[in-house]
Amino acid sequence: MNVLVCIDDTDNLESRGTGDLAEQLAGEVRERSWGLCEFVTRHQLLLHPDVPYTSHNSSMCFAADIDAQHLPALIERAQKFLAEESAPGSDPGLAVAVPESLRDATALIEFGRRAKQDVLSKQDAYSLAHDLGVHLSEHGGTGQGVIGALAGTGLRLSGNDGRIKGWMDIPTSDGVAKVADIVARFNLGGVRSMDGALLAADDLIAVGEKPKAVFLGGKPFLMVSPLQQEGGVRWQTSSRRDLKQY
Amino acid sequence: MWIKCNDGLRLFRHGRENFNAAAQAAGSCTSFRADVEEEWVTDESRSCYNCRYRRWTADSFVCQAAP
Repeated sequence: MNVLVCIDDTDNLESRGTGDLAEQLAGEVRERSWGLCEFVTRHQLLLHPDVPYTSHNSSMCFAADIDAQHLPALIERAQKFLAEESAPGSDPGLAVAVPESLRDATALIEFGRRAKQDVLSKQDAYSLAHDLGVHLSEHGGTGQGVIGALAGTGLRLSGNDGRIKGWMDIPTSDGVAKVADIVARFNLGGVRSMDGALLAADDLIAVGEKPKAVFLGGKPFLMVSPLQQEGGVRWQTSSRRDLKQY
Repeated sequence: MWIKCNDGLRLFRHGRENFNAAAQAAGSCTSFRADVEEEWVTDESRSCYNCRYRRWTADSFVCQAAP
């Protein structure tokens, strides 16, 4: 079965990031042979004075394909992991959703979208999680992270939100790589321009420093921007500034 | 470059899109510390926009480092 695991508000100004913890937890799922995990996605939530985030208010989510018998153990381990690894002063929350058994997937996605626009409460989160059958738990501090954790599962489920944690180490020839090669190597949905056009397999891309993928249509996509130069290379990997919107 | 807040922290005067000003401010800052990679929003590694002590607001950020 496919499960979505999302954590939020595990850090403080001096600690490791929530994304690192999500990757570590995904690593444990693999090490314990519970199943296979996908990449971690970062989901931006509302920036507002009434939301008590540390610095950026983002949550981190990964999908795992596990045998159903391991779900209780995964949840138990994730709870213990957050209690052990979250930073002092943080307010960690954990959400584990099983998309195939959700009572209303649309409601979970809508909660994620609302968390990008409205100030939501823990009660909102717990109430919805109960109604939908999503595991939601808090592991220290105020437990405010349950809001972002639940929202993150909804945004990941939407298939159209966030950036992939980490960057792509793309092999190049003189700084250039072919779309087909990049897509195959990183199992991407494709390479798209910032205005949404899908590049052809034989298009060439000038690869910049530490290119990142974004999550669109349920797959990672490399984003590119026009390159003004002579020759056959018409695209370059998009800058982080361009990717801010994701 | 900064607006002093009532709580003693500093609000970046130039908003969220002035990348030159953010790089300039970080260049002379002794408290700068790069945030984790997934929170970087500009390609200049040394920028207040990539600093772990910035707390984003809707329009700008507040510096949480000691002035």
